[in-house]
Amino acid sequence: MSLDEPVLRFHSVAKHYSQPSGGVLKALDDVSFEIAAGKKLAITGRSGSGKSTLLHLAAGIDIPSAGAVSFVGRDLGALTDRQRTLIRRDDIGLVFQFFYLLPHLTVWENVALPGWIASDRTFEERGRKLLDRVGLSAFATQPASTLSGGEMQRVAICRALLRKPRLLLADEPTGNLDDDNSEVVMDLLMQLVDDEQGALLYVTHSEEQAAQADERLSLHSGRLERT
Amino acid sequence: MIRYFFRALRAQLRGGVLLFALSLFGVSIGVASVVSIQIINLNALGAFRGSMLAVSGSADLILLGKMPTLPETLYPEVLATPGVAAAWPLYRVDVTLRDADPIVLEVIGVDFFTAIDVPWEGEAVDVSAALGQSGWVAVTATLARERGWSVGERLSVSIGTRTAELVVGALSDFEKATPLASPRLAVMDIAQAQSLLGSRGQVDQIDVKLVDGVDEAAVVAALDRKLGTKAMILTPEQREEQAADLLSAFRLNLTALSLISLFVGGFLVFSSTQAALVRRRTEFGLLRSLGATHRQVFGLLVGDVALLGLAGVAVGMPLGYLGARANIDRVSATLSNLYLLEEIHQLVVPPWFFVLGAAVGLAGAGLGALAPALELGRKDTRSLLAAFSLHARVGEKAPRWFAAGVLCVLAIVGVYAVAGDRWRPAGFVQAFLLICAIPLLTPWLVQLATSRLPVRSFGLAYGVKGLGRQLQTTPVAVAALAIAVSMVVGVTTMVSSFRDTLDIWIERTIQADIYVSTPSRRRAASHATIGADVIERLKRHPAVTHVDRLRQFFAYTNGRRFSLAGVDASVPVDRARFALLEGEVEELPRDSVLVGEPLARKEGLHVGDDLVVDGPDGPVSFPIAGIYYDYSSELGSAFLHLDTMTERFGGGTVASVALYLAPDSDADDVVDELRVAFQATPLSMRSNRGLRERAMQVFDQTFAITRLLRYMSLLIAVCGVALTLIVLARERTSELALYRALGASRLQIFRIYLGKGLGIGAAGIALGSVAGVAFALILIYVVNRAFFGWTIAMHWPLGLLVWQSAIVLLASSVASVYPAIIASRTPATELRREDL
Ligand SMILES: Nc1ncnc2c1ncn2[C@@H]1O[C@H](COP(=O)(O)OP(=O)(O)OP(=O)(O)O)[C@@H](O)[C@H]1O
Ligand SMILES: [Mg+2]
Repeated sequence: MSLDEPVLRFHSVAKHYSQPSGGVLKALDDVSFEIAAGKKLAITGRSGSGKSTLLHLAAGIDIPSAGAVSFVGRDLGALTDRQRTLIRRDDIGLVFQFFYLLPHLTVWENVALPGWIASDRTFEERGRKLLDRVGLSAFATQPASTLSGGEMQRVAICRALLRKPRLLLADEPTGNLDDDNSEVVMDLLMQLVDDEQGALLYVTHSEEQAAQADERLSLHSGRLERT
Repeated sequence: MIRYFFRALRAQLRGGVLLFALSLFGVSIGVASVVSIQIINLNALGAFRGSMLAVSGSADLILLGKMPTLPETLYPEVLATPGVAAAWPLYRVDVTLRDADPIVLEVIGVDFFTAIDVPWEGEAVDVSAALGQSGWVAVTATLARERGWSVGERLSVSIGTRTAELVVGALSDFEKATPLASPRLAVMDIAQAQSLLGSRGQVDQIDVKLVDGVDEAAVVAALDRKLGTKAMILTPEQREEQAADLLSAFRLNLTALSLISLFVGGFLVFSSTQAALVRRRTEFGLLRSLGATHRQVFGLLVGDVALLGLAGVAVGMPLGYLGARANIDRVSATLSNLYLLEEIHQLVVPPWFFVLGAAVGLAGAGLGALAPALELGRKDTRSLLAAFSLHARVGEKAPRWFAAGVLCVLAIVGVYAVAGDRWRPAGFVQAFLLICAIPLLTPWLVQLATSRLPVRSFGLAYGVKGLGRQLQTTPVAVAALAIAVSMVVGVTTMVSSFRDTLDIWIERTIQADIYVSTPSRRRAASHATIGADVIERLKRHPAVTHVDRLRQFFAYTNGRRFSLAGVDASVPVDRARFALLEGEVEELPRDSVLVGEPLARKEGLHVGDDLVVDGPDGPVSFPIAGIYYDYSSELGSAFLHLDTMTERFGGGTVASVALYLAPDSDADDVVDELRVAFQATPLSMRSNRGLRERAMQVFDQTFAITRLLRYMSLLIAVCGVALTLIVLARERTSELALYRALGASRLQIFRIYLGKGLGIGAAGIALGSVAGVAFALILIYVVNRAFFGWTIAMHWPLGLLVWQSAIVLLASSVASVYPAIIASRTPATELRREDL
């Protein structure tokens, strides 16, 4: 694993879904790109163009039908489910459009969850720092369900960054937020990624947000166009 | 809407066959428990009723001897009473077949020239043979087929130490007259029956047919004047009621236990309806917003429940029947050992019974679904569409429910303070309150326990803590399990306390070295006597130092039948022969009586009171010198000195004897020697140890069905754990997908669900154990005393209870394996859904 190895590399990746009608849906087709540590990559494209599918493959939640997805040199498709899970646990952070905070846990517990999952006790300090950084320390003991959308997404970002992931994946992180909140959340995300020197791959519909990336990819019916 | 119902049903079944199967299982096992117990209850008296109908079916009145027989000379007097159209005397004696398979024949001696009507198999029988041929007997065709007998077969039978040779002279078919009739009924001439098997000049019963239109009460009064205390005058219905009364406590208790199974089954329905409601709330909201009425949506849910109930009945009824059949032998043994009734020969299920079964199943399912359905009814369209949180609502109400539960507990104590064991239903009211208290107390306790639980990692504890956040489902499973556990703990404690008490009591009261009676003793009671010559021969055995004789018959006090025994205590024993509850006596007193606890409790008797017994020439009364612990039978008993008995009730023969041996002899060896010496005499001999073992065996047999019943509800409750966890795994797909996306391994998810199963199990055991202690107290101090009149010393079978708890815990973790597998298989891609 050399230092200049890209964090994530897609090599001629395709993802096919068989349809109930008998046909095959090519959600992704011959997609190749890579992303190096410390870089930010934006993905745009219409609804149904395959953005989320791409992110799922990058996270090892799904495996490609053809081609290879490699994470720091390891071919995710060749790993077992358990190995992929461990990579996700230790090296990948996820931020979702719908936040996915557990409503019955407190804000702090939501942030701490990845630490619990990894049985890692060293995160407490870091978790508090992150919460402080996003300005939500005061809410730590509140149930997550009482927060506003923008606050929830900030908590979700803390959760994603808790274990210092090498790769942060965000699927329309501001898709459910108004403009003001979108800006706050996006700025935070960018700053935090810069601080941490991780790689960021994010999906967005906003030209403005896409412009903040080092590089942009555009998906059209599963095929990639570089801009 | 009907079309929508079936469309939706199909979709639901496809989605959750297992859920449906589990709730179906709960309902059907509940129904099966109730149905099988009711079938058994219904048939417990079947043989008795059958014999009565077969023999006295056409009688208007039945005159029964109290002493226990009647002098034959009363017969002409009865016949001469105005209003009596016909009467026929009966001599009944249960003889034992001297065979490798020694069954009991219920011999009825009849006078063939009276109005009695025997249903013959085939053409009418020439009854002159019945009088002429010695030992002529007619057996049922069914029994003849069973045993391979035909006309001319010689049967050797015994009654007491007497033996007789009978000859099958004809075949009868009582089943033609009444399907319940016992195949063991045998008919012979009354004079032959008296001389071969009993005593001349005595009859057991006189059946009376009245003149049409005559005033029954007037005839009864006239007969009563003539017979005095010698006989009881009953209508066939009263006779049957008398027997039913005898069994009422036994039957009621079994019914109550089986209802608990149904109750726990109802919880399963509750869980699954609740789950369906949570799952389908948006669907219902949408239907409402599309214009479906309240009633239509409610109807959808009711339709589901009705279907579940009916399916439960369809499975539960046959299962119940099979359950009843499988348990006939156990119950039969109890009936004949404890209540001296005939055994159950066949099960008859009347058509109305199916209606009852269906009603029970539907009611169980309906009650289970009631609360969730009402919940739905109260929801307006908007709140259905909005993702309302049932959990939060339960959480808010939990403290109030807890308070209600505490009130229930206080009410239990209150009932005890007011009614104690004097008011019979008190125990059931308390048990019911207890069972209501458990589900009321549970939610808040679960909330409290889980909120205190510190979570530091994503493992078992995380899973358990999660339970506190599923208040709409978890407490239901916990409560169902707790109820089942409380029943197991309560009944186990009661049974094993009873067993210990009995053991100590037997140790104390069985003091002779060898007990001798006859094979026909159990059933034929006072007819089965031991000849004086036999007793003389027993005395002559070199190892025998003393012989106690015991004469016993059923007597009546206040219309209550009880066993009156006369003993000649020839041996000065070092320890008191009776374990006394009240009074102080060293030896059996000469002129007073000792009364057993069940009889004393039922009749409200104490030391110093008089026991008034119906004697041959009117009531005889004895001062009560003591009340002894008595666990031999629920009927009640009393002891007199044998001489006093002879003085007051006339002479009679002895039914059993107790032998005391020289100190250096071995009881088992002596028994063996006596068996050889008395080979030709029908005697049954048990050494002290043998008798004790036999008593414990009878005890265990009696409670076998109870044991079975309590495990039924446990089984249902464990299914409830599985059901709840499956619902959790299904409903929480997004949550599980999120864990997977965050890097939780399958094993971790599996462990979390196992933790939930263990958590429910542990909570159920904890709550159930506490409630079980209360249950045991109610059973021992209230129900037992009120219904059976036994004092049971409390012994906590700790080892057994710990063992049972371990099994329950194991069962709940086993029940959580499958849900845990489902949960662990949730793919991270399921995170598409919005609801979390
Ligand atoms: N599990 C699946 N089975 C079948 N088809 C799928 C599956 N997942 C995604 N698809 C299809 O693949 C295509 C791409 O889906 P994807 O979710 O990646 O789109 P997207 O670009 O994220 O769209 P949006 O902007 O609406 O989120 C769609 O046509 C979708 O229907
Ligand atoms: Mg998408």
